[in-house]
Amino acid sequence: MMAKQPRKPGQARRPYHRKETRLDPRPDGPLLAREEQQLVEGLLAGNQEAVRALYARYARPIFTLGLRLLGSAEAAEELTQDVFLAAWRKAARFDPSRGRLSTWLMTIAHNLAVDRLRRETGVTRPRLILVDEVPEVLGPDEDEVLMERDVAIRALESLSDAEKRLLARAYFGGLTAREIAEDDHIPLGTVKTRLRTALIKVRRANQDKERP
Amino acid sequence: MTCLEVRELLPELAVGVLSPEDRERAERHLQWCAGCRKEATDLGSAAATFAFALEPVPVPQGLGDRVVARVHRAAGAPGTSRRARMAAAAVVAAMVAVTSLGWGAVMAGRADRFAERAERAEREQAAALERFQRILAGVIPGQQLPDDETHLGQLALVAGGSGGGAVLQLVSPTILDFVIVIVSGLDPVQGSMPYRVRLVNARGDVLRAGRIDELDADGGAEAYHQFKTADLTGYTTVDVVDATGAVVLSGVVDQSA
Repeated sequence: MMAKQPRKPGQARRPYHRKETRLDPRPDGPLLAREEQQLVEGLLAGNQEAVRALYARYARPIFTLGLRLLGSAEAAEELTQDVFLAAWRKAARFDPSRGRLSTWLMTIAHNLAVDRLRRETGVTRPRLILVDEVPEVLGPDEDEVLMERDVAIRALESLSDAEKRLLARAYFGGLTAREIAEDDHIPLGTVKTRLRTALIKVRRANQDKERP
Repeated sequence: MTCLEVRELLPELAVGVLSPEDRERAERHLQWCAGCRKEATDLGSAAATFAFALEPVPVPQGLGDRVVARVHRAAGAPGTSRRARMAAAAVVAAMVAVTSLGWGAVMAGRADRFAERAERAEREQAAALERFQRILAGVIPGQQLPDDETHLGQLALVAGGSGGGAVLQLVSPTILDFVIVIVSGLDPVQGSMPYRVRLVNARGDVLRAGRIDELDADGGAEAYHQFKTADLTGYTTVDVVDATGAVVLSGVVDQSA
């Protein structure tokens, strides 16, 4: 093997390496896959601008879900911090071709909240949270959140009331299929089939919200 | 577990109520089954719709600053090997994206049509290389790394194998040489693991460049190796071989670039 030699002085560098790069996602509206990837790479690097951009877009629905599932503003705040930290840890594995950034973050949030509920003694079921504060005026970065909500509400309209209740009991109530089957005195297989059918209906209704 | 058994669990996995044991069993299956993984992704996306439908509530003042500070602290902490590997994964993934942006078409003479994409690709490549430099600077504190000594190659499927990947070499006359290999879509079945990475030069000399003992849900992994004495000059062929010695992925790094 060749021994390492001192570097030659004045060695040429390829000019394109010197170009400045900056994080420049669009300020509002749904992000393109490339922009989502760019934000996630910024997050991975601990870039404060990227973290703030992600926070501006997604903190509110994450905090809302945390409040809904965990029952206190303090727990929801901890969850929100944990979600962004977990997202930083998992950032290298985010693949925009397999789903939107918002869905990825919300799945992390839900999983962390459910794990926390299971760990905490005495908390068996999340309870409904009523919030009487006046919502803040939404910033431009939260336009996507509003659109997501609008699309989500329309997607859920594709479900019957019974299907909505079933999914809500599982997603918000933390009830397993077996627990629902026992409560309703119906076969376990029937509950699983109904869960899947309802989720597929939502998925189909969601098709038109795919990335621009 | 069979696909049928796993698919029965997927709705509960999507809504987050599967028992830890069943979740682990399902996740293991999803590591290698693309069909079930697709179904799991679709159902999970549908379940998240419920979260988006909630009436948004205001977030506490100052929470944004605390989130930013926490992530910034974690990202700026003394580099762990895991963090370096993750960052490297993102860099090389970005490079793979760059190489698929249409350079072939540009070379074919349709430069006008693809000029914008080419410029973007160049910017992204520049950004990727800058980040790669920062990663390596973190690995060797205080060392400024020459940006003209990093070389990229893609790993392509060999008959009988699965997946794909990318490789980045640092070949430097002044500092220790590195190789980082990112793979995805490898088969995790028993008998294939562990995978090994090897570098081969024109004379057929072989250097071992890492071992892959674990794959993620996408059959992906990163192998990172620093060569204390060997010089990677000329070791342009990169192979990923399975436990039986069969080459499953192979590629060539252009060290002249």
